Amino acid sequence: MSNDMKISSATPGDAQRVAAPNYPPGDLAIWIFILAELLVFAVFFAAYAFTRMNHVELFNEYQATLNRDAALINTLALLTSSYFVMRGVVAAREGNNAFCARWLWAAVAMGVVFVVVKSAEYAHHLGAGVSLSTNTFYMFYLSLTFFHFMHVILGMVILVAVAVKARGDGYSVEDHTGVETGASYWHMVDLLWLILFPLVYVMR
Amino acid sequence: MQYKSQAVAKPYFIAAIGLFVGQILFGLVLGLQYVMGDFMFPEIPFNVARMVHTNLLIVWLLFGFMGAAYYLVPEEAERELQSPGLALLMFWVFLVAGALTILGYLLVPYSGLAELTRNELLPTMGREFLEQPTITKLGIVVVALAFLFNIGMTILKGRKTVVSLVLLIGLVGLAVFFLFSFYNPDNLVKDKYYWWWVVHLWVEGVWELILGSILAFVLIKTTGVDREVIEKWLYVIIAMTLITGIIGTGHHFYWIGAPEYWQWWGSIFSALEPIPFFMMTVFAFNMVNRRRRNHPNKAAILWALGTAVMAFLGAGVWGFLHTLSPVNYYTHGTQITAAHGHMAFYGAYVMIVLTMISYAMPMLRGREAANSNRSQVLEMWSFWLMTVSIVFITLFLTGAGILQVYLQRFSADPLPFMVVQDKIALFYWMREIAGLVFLIGLLTYVASFFVGAREPEATTAVAEKASA
Amino acid sequence: MNGIEPTRQLIRPCTLVYAVLMLLTVVTWGIGRAGLSGLGVSLTVLAFAMLKGHLIGDWFMGLRGVRGIWRWVVVAWLLIPGGLISLAFFLSYRS
Repeated sequence: MSNDMKISSATPGDAQRVAAPNYPPGDLAIWIFILAELLVFAVFFAAYAFTRMNHVELFNEYQATLNRDAALINTLALLTSSYFVMRGVVAAREGNNAFCARWLWAAVAMGVVFVVVKSAEYAHHLGAGVSLSTNTFYMFYLSLTFFHFMHVILGMVILVAVAVKARGDGYSVEDHTGVETGASYWHMVDLLWLILFPLVYVMR
Repeated sequence: MQYKSQAVAKPYFIAAIGLFVGQILFGLVLGLQYVMGDFMFPEIPFNVARMVHTNLLIVWLLFGFMGAAYYLVPEEAERELQSPGLALLMFWVFLVAGALTILGYLLVPYSGLAELTRNELLPTMGREFLEQPTITKLGIVVVALAFLFNIGMTILKGRKTVVSLVLLIGLVGLAVFFLFSFYNPDNLVKDKYYWWWVVHLWVEGVWELILGSILAFVLIKTTGVDREVIEKWLYVIIAMTLITGIIGTGHHFYWIGAPEYWQWWGSIFSALEPIPFFMMTVFAFNMVNRRRRNHPNKAAILWALGTAVMAFLGAGVWGFLHTLSPVNYYTHGTQITAAHGHMAFYGAYVMIVLTMISYAMPMLRGREAANSNRSQVLEMWSFWLMTVSIVFITLFLTGAGILQVYLQRFSADPLPFMVVQDKIALFYWMREIAGLVFLIGLLTYVASFFVGAREPEATTAVAEKASA
Repeated sequence: MNGIEPTRQLIRPCTLVYAVLMLLTVVTWGIGRAGLSGLGVSLTVLAFAMLKGHLIGDWFMGLRGVRGIWRWVVVAWLLIPGGLISLAFFLSYRS
C-alpha cells in the first residue's frame, strides 16, 4: 500500500480537495487504537441491548430514574467541543497556531462541562445508594457511562497537551499531524456518546 | 556486541536453557502420571512434579527476561551497565536460591518444607505457582530490586528509548505485583484476588510489556526499519494490552465469590485481549516485510515471527475460547485451561526468550552477527519440532478438555471426575508422545549451540542465495 | 477535506452540520421527554444517532476526503452496534 497522494479530478467547488489521501487525518497508530476502542464499546452496546431483551420492564423502570436533561446538556457539550476541535484543526492547517490553541481550549472547557454534569449525576445516584450490584440496568448504566467518562478525561488530557504545544507555536502548515491525531481521538469520544445517549437514556 | 557489560547476559541465558530442559523432563514425568498414576511414586508424586514443572518454567523465564534486559538495555541506553558485578552476583544468588527451592520440593514433603523454612512467621506458601518458601520469595525480591537498580540506573543515566522504558515499566510491574504474594488473607475470596493480582497481572499485563519491548528490539535490529515506526506500534500495543489486560482480570473473578458485574466486565474486556496479540502479529510481519536489510541471523527472525503468531494463537485465540463467562461456567479448571496454558506460555514467553537468545547468543559467543549456516539450520529444525509439537499438545489437551466438559459437566447424566479421566486417557497418551517430540526438539536446540561452532558465520549473501 | 472548505462562504458547511447535529440531539431528547416509546420510536432515535455518527465521521473526523477502506470505517462501525441494537429491540418487541 502506498501512502502517496494522488491527484484526483477535483470538481470546481472542491478546489481545495486536490489530493485524496488513502489514510484518515492523524497518525495511523491512533486510528488502530480508535478501532480497538470502538470495538470495545460496540460489544458493550450490544451486550446492553441483548441483556435488556430479557429484562425489558426492569430497564424501562430504571431508565426513568436517569436525568435526561443532564444527558442533553452533555450531548450538546460534546458536540460543541467536537465542533471546536474541528475548527482548531482548520486553524492548524492554515498555520494559525494561536487560533488553534484557542479553539482547543474552548473544546476542553466543554469537556469540563461534561465532566461536571456527569459527576453530579454520579453523585446523585451514589447518594441514592445505587451501585454496580444494585441491578442489571444500573450495572450497565454505571459501567458504560463510567468507561466513557474515563475516555472523556483521557481525551481532555490529549487536547490540553496539543493545545499547549500549539500555544508554543509547535505546529505548521506542513506538520500538524499531532493536532489531527488528538482531534480524531476526541471525535471518537463524541461518537461513542452519540450512541450511548439514545441507547441508555431514551430508547425504551 | 557493542558494550562489554552485555556479556553478563550469557550466564543468564545458559541457566535459562538448562532449567528449561529440567522443566520439560518434569513435564514428561507429569504427563505420564496422568495415565500411570503411580509412576515414580513415592519419590516424585504428581503434585510435586506439577509444582516443579510450573516453578521451573517461571524461574527460567525470569532468568531469560533478566538476561534479555542485561543485553538489551546497554545497547538502548548506549552505555555500559551500571554494575556488571552486581548482575553476576545476583545471577548466583538467584540460581542457588532457585536450586535449593527445587531440591526442597523434591527431597522434603511440602509441609516439612514449610516447617523447615518457618513459614508460620509469614505464611505465604501453598498457592499455585507461588509455592516458594517465604525465604525464597524474599530472595526473589532482593534479586529483583538489585536487578531493577542496575537496569534502572543504566537507563536513567543513558539514552532513554521507548523500547527500554516499556521494558522498565514491565519489569517494575513484575516486581511490584509480586509483592501481592506476601499477603495471604484468611478470607478465601480475598485470597484469590491477591493471588490473581500476581498471576494474571503478570502474564496478561506486565509480562506482555516485556514481550513487546524485546520483540520491538529484535525487530529494530534485524529489519533496520525506522525506530519511530516500531515505537509507534509498541505504544498502541501496550496501551491496548493494559486496557484489556487489567480489567480482563475479571475473567478470574467469575466463580470465586466476587460481585456479579465481573461476569460482564471480565467477559467483555478479556474477550478483547486477543487484539493486542493480533496487532503484534501484524506488526511483526509488517516490519519484516518492510525490512531495509537482510540480517544474516535467519533463525532469530524465524523465532520473532513465530512468537508473534504463536502468542496470538495461544494467548489470544485459546484464551478467547474459554474466557466468556457462560462458556467458562463449563470449562473452568478443565483440560481446556491446560491447553491454553501450554500454548500461551510457549508462544508468548518461551518463544520471546528464545528469540532474544537466538539474536544475542552469537554475539555473546564472539560472532559478528550470526551463527554458521549449519548451526542455524539445526536451530530452525528445533523451532519447528518444538512449535509443531506444542500445537499438537494443545490440540490433544483441547480434545481431552472438550470431552471432559461434556462427560463431566454438560451431558444429561454427568460422570465423576476420575471416571472421566479414564475415558480421556487416549488424549493424554497422545499428548505424552507430542511431549517426547518436544523434548527431541529441545535437545536439537541445545545441540545447535555446539554444531557448526567452528564454521564461518552465515552471511547475508549466502542467506539470500539460500532463500532465492 | 475534513469538511474544511474555503472560508469565503458566509456559513461554513461544517457549521451547518454542527447545527443539524444539535437539532437532532434536541429532537432525541424531546422524544424521551415526551415519554414516547415503541419499536418505531426507538429505531428512529437510533437512526438519528447513526446519522449523527456518520456526520461526525465525515465532516469532523475528515473521512469525507479519504479514499479506500478508511473512508467507510465509521459507517461500518455504526452498522455493527446499530444493527445489533436494532435486532435486540426488534426481538424484544416481538416477544
